[in-house]
Amino acid sequence: MSSAATTTPPGSLGAATADGPLAALRRHRGLGKILLLAVAAAVLVPLLHAQWSGGLWPTGLTVDVSGPLGKTSDWIIDNRDSHPLFVYFLGHLSNAVVISVRGVYLLLLALGWMGVTAGVTLVAWRVAGLRIAATALISFLVSGALGMWVPTMQTLALMIVAVLASVVVGALLGLAAGLSDRTFRLLRPVLDTMQVLPAFAYLLPVVLVFGIGVPAALLATVVYAAPPMARLTALGLRGADAGVLEAVASLGATGRQRLLTARLPLARKELLLGLNQTIMMALSMAVIASMIGAAGLGDRVYQALASVDVGSALAAAVPIVLLAIVMDRTTAAAGERLGSDAQASGPALLRGRRGWAGVAVATVVLTAVGRLAGSEVWPTGWTVAIARPVNDFKEWMVDHLYSGVPVVGGTADWAAHFTDWVLNPLRDGLTALPWYATLLIVAALAWLIGTWRTALTAVLAMAAIGVLGVWKPSMNTLSQVLAALVVTLVIGVGVGILAAGSKRFEAILRPVLDVMQTMPQFVYLIPVVALFAVGRAPAAAAAVVYALPAVIRITTQGLRQVDPAAMESATSLGATRWQILRQVQLPLARPALLLAVNQGVVLVLAVVIIGGLVGGGALGYDVVTGLATGDLALGLVAGVAIVCLGLMLDRVTQPTERRTGKGA
Amino acid sequence: MAHSSADASGISATAAKSGEDTGSGESREVVFSARNLWKVFGPKADRIPDDASVVGLSAQELREQTGCTAAVRDVSFDVHKGEVFVVMGLSGSGKSTLVRCLTRLIEPTSGTLEMDGEDVIGMDRTALRELRRRRASMVFQHFGLLPHRTVLDNVAYGLEIQGMGKSERRAKAAEMVEKVGLAGLEKRRPGQLSGGQQQRVGLARALAVDPEVLLFDEPFSALDPLIRRDMQEEVVRLHREEGRTMVFITHDLAEALTVGDRIALMRDGKIVQLGTPEEIVGSPADDYVRDFVRDVPREQVLTVRRAMRPAEDGEGGKGRELAPDTLIADAIEAVVRSGGAARVVEDGRCLGIVDHACLLNVVARIDAPRHDGVAA
Repeated sequence: MSSAATTTPPGSLGAATADGPLAALRRHRGLGKILLLAVAAAVLVPLLHAQWSGGLWPTGLTVDVSGPLGKTSDWIIDNRDSHPLFVYFLGHLSNAVVISVRGVYLLLLALGWMGVTAGVTLVAWRVAGLRIAATALISFLVSGALGMWVPTMQTLALMIVAVLASVVVGALLGLAAGLSDRTFRLLRPVLDTMQVLPAFAYLLPVVLVFGIGVPAALLATVVYAAPPMARLTALGLRGADAGVLEAVASLGATGRQRLLTARLPLARKELLLGLNQTIMMALSMAVIASMIGAAGLGDRVYQALASVDVGSALAAAVPIVLLAIVMDRTTAAAGERLGSDAQASGPALLRGRRGWAGVAVATVVLTAVGRLAGSEVWPTGWTVAIARPVNDFKEWMVDHLYSGVPVVGGTADWAAHFTDWVLNPLRDGLTALPWYATLLIVAALAWLIGTWRTALTAVLAMAAIGVLGVWKPSMNTLSQVLAALVVTLVIGVGVGILAAGSKRFEAILRPVLDVMQTMPQFVYLIPVVALFAVGRAPAAAAAVVYALPAVIRITTQGLRQVDPAAMESATSLGATRWQILRQVQLPLARPALLLAVNQGVVLVLAVVIIGGLVGGGALGYDVVTGLATGDLALGLVAGVAIVCLGLMLDRVTQPTERRTGKGA
Repeated sequence: MAHSSADASGISATAAKSGEDTGSGESREVVFSARNLWKVFGPKADRIPDDASVVGLSAQELREQTGCTAAVRDVSFDVHKGEVFVVMGLSGSGKSTLVRCLTRLIEPTSGTLEMDGEDVIGMDRTALRELRRRRASMVFQHFGLLPHRTVLDNVAYGLEIQGMGKSERRAKAAEMVEKVGLAGLEKRRPGQLSGGQQQRVGLARALAVDPEVLLFDEPFSALDPLIRRDMQEEVVRLHREEGRTMVFITHDLAEALTVGDRIALMRDGKIVQLGTPEEIVGSPADDYVRDFVRDVPREQVLTVRRAMRPAEDGEGGKGRELAPDTLIADAIEAVVRSGGAARVVEDGRCLGIVDHACLLNVVARIDAPRHDGVAA
């Protein structure tokens, strides 16, 4: 070869040109992937088109699962009281759940409003300081004043049991995964995937097994909330400083000593972060689980939304938000204190073991005071009914803001335009697009951004949707997700860039984002219903608002973390700010931006699905209908489709490196 | 027999020969004794040491042919009671792996290893734990302190592992904290200390269990030069006061020369030379070692024993007297001040003469004819 090349120059030239495209392909791996897919498409598409033409998934390729699912559901209902699996295992489980939730609820009621408020405030003071204690105090008083004391206690009781169970389950799984490589490899993809699935997907399987009621609600909550605890426990244990562990081993520590004195304490931050995330996810789910039998605040919101009673919904939503803020701040502050090594502040009475004893004594005393005063449940005279004024205000908005506002139009007009000009064309386009083209696009995107594995998972998930016969509603949901995602990214990245550029703007934005990120998904439905009535546009709007904080945060952090040396050198070359942003910051922040897209898509999907409650239609509505009418097959199929859609969207946008931060 | 290590492989003939008259003359108790120790990482690592066809390969050839990396290759040495035994080499030479093999933090692939005549390789988990708890403790490059514990509780950690009661171990730990000069900082956390202070905590933790041997794995590499010198002096001081056996890993030749009684110089997993600092600097075993020690200020390491010439007629009676282990640097000062040659005297007998020319030869790296054989 080489001798031929040296003797005949034209031959070498030919070899060089033949090498050209191949080398170019090797250089641009993306191009190579596209070409490969194009070749595959050129072969497959005519075949598929000849066999099954049309935009929708061909009916010949679907499997009707509603029959078998219906039978399973019937079998479970018939055997719930007789089959050994239920009698000896699930029945006990269910009873234990009912008894413990009931027990905690009665305990909270027995403590009375004074006892509970005092206890929560003092605990917050003990672990998180004065400011957060004040927040806790005000939050509980406001919840009482809104006339929501009893539902708040119901939610709190469910939360306490659910969080305890989630922490135990999560910590045990995390411990197993943290100590054994095999368990870790097995568990990690499962946990990662569970974190991207919308909450709605968890509702139906538990209802199928337990029926509607507290046990189903609690189990759905635990299944939804345990993964972050397990993940972070495992990561914390595995992330322990190898040098410290070696030093500990060199001193002759046994395995148990190593775990108790080194590995677990070294993972304290992750453990607390896991607790924090688990609590937040449990609250989010406990509220949604009102749809499957959890009483409390979520139920009030759910009932109110069903009759578009914005005032009542708001009265129940405010305690939810306050509860979320108190829980998040308390656990987060506890975590920060561990990290900073600072000595515990606060009064000396509240330090150490004596502090805990003090908290207990003060709580008992105030409980006794409350009982003696005869006011256990929040006194009725002290409530403020906000439902009516809020509804009046909403009526006023309907009259004045919905339409006919000069120049800008009205909110209802915007929603209608968004539906007509964006959502409908997108939905019709997706539905009209041949199904194989959809699969190809999914494959191409997933392969370009990720690996062939992610592409395969995405395509299979998409195909599963078709096979299940829910292609059309899934395309409808997908259109809402895509529209909301584009809006989220445009606003989110824009605001993120601004926040990265201005410290002052970021300082103003931070507390707003903090509060937005702590609120459960459910709550976002209320303001959009107030503003835009019901329909697909408000569902998309709620999704945008819900996903925005994460996108803004990630963008800002990504831009901020760009190597200052690179920025400095660009400045020294005389680049303008715009040039620096476009040519240095954004390219270098690419991983963060990809992560923002991934997070955005996961969060948007979660809320678009919940939007089924406020007229979002499609898959979310199928789940709601399935639950409401007892047609579990319909709901389950929709649930599986949601899972597949979630998998597909996550894999398509999944950068090669997995995120480790806060999940959806 | 001055050095039982003389029969160990990997030691140059020069070092073995000169070992006769330098170092410790009396035969000393052996603490660690390693023979033909191997540590190979990679697939089927245990086959490498016995496979005659690959044993002779260079590190790169071995990796290409077998996919294995031999971090420690056929190493034999003795650590004597009370000495500071330095293992020196560049990064990747296998020195850190070697020290970890001593307490089996890394399991050796083959070879024998004894501590006080006891087989370490054959120890079960309990015996090994006892060894780590009480007989050999280690100081690490990156300290390995527990960030959530106070200085005092970090120092007491080894005792806690042993099962000692709280008040007793705290009292003992307080003593150690005092000893390493950290009194007053007991309640701090490691994160609030400087690097040097953190390493003092690491040292105190190792000392607290009163081990027979202290193992140092590049303990001062992560520290600033000035603090490093302080810490080196601290180690020298501790060694002088307590006479504890120490195995000291470093990549810093100056450090090795400062703290070491004997130095084992490693390259690609093998010991290329083992000897006193003077032997390493004065008689490098091969070009690698010669290159290594080229920039060492020889006058700070070598003694007049290496520089003197035989006394000529009439010289034996006059001039300043110097002991044979006087450093060249000190001899230069003496010679310059007195203006003439000086006599090297041991037990009232004149061994030889050092004058300007002899001393300059050493500094200029021109090897003067050696006469140390005369003394023996």
